[in-house]
Amino acid sequence: MTGKSWAEPWRIKVVEPLRMTTRAEREAAIERAGYNTFLLDADDVYIDLLTDSGTSAMSDRQWAGIMVGDEAYAGSRSFTTLQNAVRHHYGFEHVIPTHQGRGAEHILSRLLISPGDHIPGNMYFTTTRVHQELAGGTFHDVIIDEAHDTESDHPFKGNVDLTKLQALIDEVSADRIPYVAIAATVNMAGGQPISLGNMRRVRELTRPLGIRIVLDAARAVENAWFIQQREAGQGRRLVADILREMCSLADAMTMSAKKDSLVNIGGWLAARDEDLADRARNMVVVYEGLHTYGGLAGRDMEAMAIGIEESLHEDHIRSRIGQVIYLGEKLMDAGIPIVQPIGGHAVFIDAARMLPHVPRAEFPAQALAAALYVESGIRSMERGAVSAGRNASGENIYPALELVRLTIPRRVYTQAHMDVVADSVAAVHAMRDRISGLEMIYEPEYLRFFQARFEPVTRVFRSAHSHGTASLSLVDS
Amino acid sequence: MIAPKFHTIIEPFRIKTVEPIRQTTEAERRVALETAHNNVFLLKARDVIIDLLTDSGTGAMSVYQWAGMMKGDESYAGARSFDVFEKSVKDITGFSHVIPTHQGRAAEHILFHTLVKPGDIVPNNTHFDTTRANVEDMGGIPLDLPIHEGRRAESVHPFKGNMDVAKLEQVLEEEGERIPLVMLTVTNNSEGGQPVSLANVREVSALCRRYEVPLFIDACRFAENAWLNKTREHSLSHRTARSIAQEMFSLADGCTMSAKKDGMSNIGGFLAMNNGTIASQCRARLVLTEGFPTYGGLAGYDLEAIAVGLNEALDEDYLRYRIRSIEYLSERLLACGVPLVTPAGGHALYLDARRMLPHIPQKEFPAWALSLVLYLEGGIRAAEIGSVMFGRRPDGSERPAELELVRLAFPRRMYTQSHVDYVAEVVQYVNAMASRIRGVRIVEAPPVLRHFTAHMAPAHGALVA
Repeated sequence: MTGKSWAEPWRIKVVEPLRMTTRAEREAAIERAGYNTFLLDADDVYIDLLTDSGTSAMSDRQWAGIMVGDEAYAGSRSFTTLQNAVRHHYGFEHVIPTHQGRGAEHILSRLLISPGDHIPGNMYFTTTRVHQELAGGTFHDVIIDEAHDTESDHPFKGNVDLTKLQALIDEVSADRIPYVAIAATVNMAGGQPISLGNMRRVRELTRPLGIRIVLDAARAVENAWFIQQREAGQGRRLVADILREMCSLADAMTMSAKKDSLVNIGGWLAARDEDLADRARNMVVVYEGLHTYGGLAGRDMEAMAIGIEESLHEDHIRSRIGQVIYLGEKLMDAGIPIVQPIGGHAVFIDAARMLPHVPRAEFPAQALAAALYVESGIRSMERGAVSAGRNASGENIYPALELVRLTIPRRVYTQAHMDVVADSVAAVHAMRDRISGLEMIYEPEYLRFFQARFEPVTRVFRSAHSHGTASLSLVDS
Repeated sequence: MIAPKFHTIIEPFRIKTVEPIRQTTEAERRVALETAHNNVFLLKARDVIIDLLTDSGTGAMSVYQWAGMMKGDESYAGARSFDVFEKSVKDITGFSHVIPTHQGRAAEHILFHTLVKPGDIVPNNTHFDTTRANVEDMGGIPLDLPIHEGRRAESVHPFKGNMDVAKLEQVLEEEGERIPLVMLTVTNNSEGGQPVSLANVREVSALCRRYEVPLFIDACRFAENAWLNKTREHSLSHRTARSIAQEMFSLADGCTMSAKKDGMSNIGGFLAMNNGTIASQCRARLVLTEGFPTYGGLAGYDLEAIAVGLNEALDEDYLRYRIRSIEYLSERLLACGVPLVTPAGGHALYLDARRMLPHIPQKEFPAWALSLVLYLEGGIRAAEIGSVMFGRRPDGSERPAELELVRLAFPRRMYTQSHVDYVAEVVQYVNAMASRIRGVRIVEAPPVLRHFTAHMAPAHGALVA
């Protein structure tokens, strides 16, 4: 099959009703949620594009796997099934399940990082960086400059800049770098892939220095698809084959199976090195669970093993990314500033370009996500200064990218839903001048984007809801 | 309820889905045990005939729980499944802040990470293994304060899980500054699944309030504990298990819960409390290691299954059957002279290995050896709760455990009476050959929670002479 068609290689077997809301209901809901889409009740959301993590629809085969899950506490056959699937497709000998990706990150960071260490990576990710810092390490962004430019059409904006990596090695010395953290794809850059050629060069640079490579493989299948589509000489290879080569270039991996592997919960940590794996098994039992279940039900491991295999079907991955690109192209046609090229799991709106009148200190992406919800019931996520948090001296970090992420769950929404999303974003774009910035009024210690609360800064009062108090308005009407 | 003129207590359910059991020969089990380095935790589940390793996460869910699984809302934030879960937990515990976690030890990790500083002392009636490990991981000192009878396997005190209130008062008086919280484990798993009386909870609670130290319940078997109060304490016999459980929670400031026990689920847990400030600190830690506060590292479908399961666990017909099925085995074994912890516990029967194998010194781990022979002879998997699990102190030295037990833990709603009859037959057979059973030694073991992964070997060439 060729051409642009990305028709789904499945039909629908079970449905879940959506609730429609009125604009007045949504205004009240976003105010209750402190203008943070994370704090909305899912019932008040029409189309939920907050995240693609754990929100996928499972297949009938996965549900069948859920039924055959072996819930034995130790030595469950579902663990063997999962272990075989990971060994076969990701190529790591030692497989340790964890309840989700951050469980694996927590354990790996504590095992590999000593206080004072430096961890280079192709752009930070929120939870990953916090785990590195809590273990006493310092994160260094060594992604290529193009990653920070939303308008650059570089095909592999997830690539590592080898000059930056070399400069860091020269500065802090190789023995203070326990590993290079490679994400595939790079979420914070807009779901952008790293090329196989770049990964090979990072391997060549680090191997003689004894620096490990740890692959964050949450969306490595999507990354492999981009390699197949875009990288010279890779077009005839199967995605599964490319994935195996990507993994062969790393020493260990952490996995949130809630992304590529099409499950609602689960993850794993995998390594080649037996000693590292043994230490990880001893730690996993304290925080997660015995190493043959890692904090998961047997059924979850069964569903993951099947999900891994389904994720690598060529028809699946083409359809998956085809849907994301469909939405991205509709937005581009409507003149919406989005990160290009379109990423693997989400379309990222450039809020700084869309709302030039909102200063960065007033969190334009947070404001845009809130406005999009109020206007349409679509839930998206801020990926900008709120997510980036504060630096060591307590100042707000203003990353180059101030984005709103429209994240597409796998196999959940239809083309008609995507059309609604495109029309809604276009409608908000048309009224963008009237969107107010936000002020943060509550800020948690870690990962503030999850639970922070805001208020609109524009001093436009209107008589609002049933309790009769005047409220600040997000949209000047 | 069955009319009182009939005395047979039947399962208040019928079977909807079955899972085949694979039979093995003794020769196959011998090979399996060797491959597993003489550690039943390292056996493949398919090589086990009756799996009594744990009642944690191994039970059978009901049709209503499975229906809940299908309704699970997998939204990352604000899922309606969280509302259902939160309501169910609040209705039973009354705590105002409910924080889901992927299982019980994660709730412990987050609570201790938030409250325990190096050098702090955490009193508990008896810490369970992961609780102890999590306190020590924070540099805290776990202090067990069971009543005297709790450590005497043959005593028939009805509430052997109780905390020694006088000792608690003494430690609060002397070390109050170093005590960030007091914990009470219901039922008391390490002491034989023995209940804690409501009266004891009241006394402990009053002390904690007097000394202004928060009291947290390790609530994983709260429903079984409530039932044992109802049936063993005359003044509570007219009350429902639910109201006894509710009163117990009302006496505490918070709880940790493994929903894999009385949540009747295969995965899940929670942390709940009244103090909003501590809850915020716990949520800050939660997002790092578990997940967002409305899913805490669980799928939406798990939240639904737990919400239903917590209520099913308080169903009195179920509790009557649950406790009775364990008493049934207890009575059969006592009748033929098998040494047990008495009275029978809520979730398990505990074989007293020291009395069964008096010829094996504790440094040769009699309970561990017994667990291996049960597997070898009958394909039954049961866990040692003795000196392998508790014998290693944080400084690396060995100290024999107070009790050498083998726990036959019963998964909820899973095995039938004929399975139980088979277990009774195997245990009797092993008891008859007890004098031929030999001790074991540790080949290699990690420093923390070593029983899960230790490699063991017979200390004298063969396990059975």
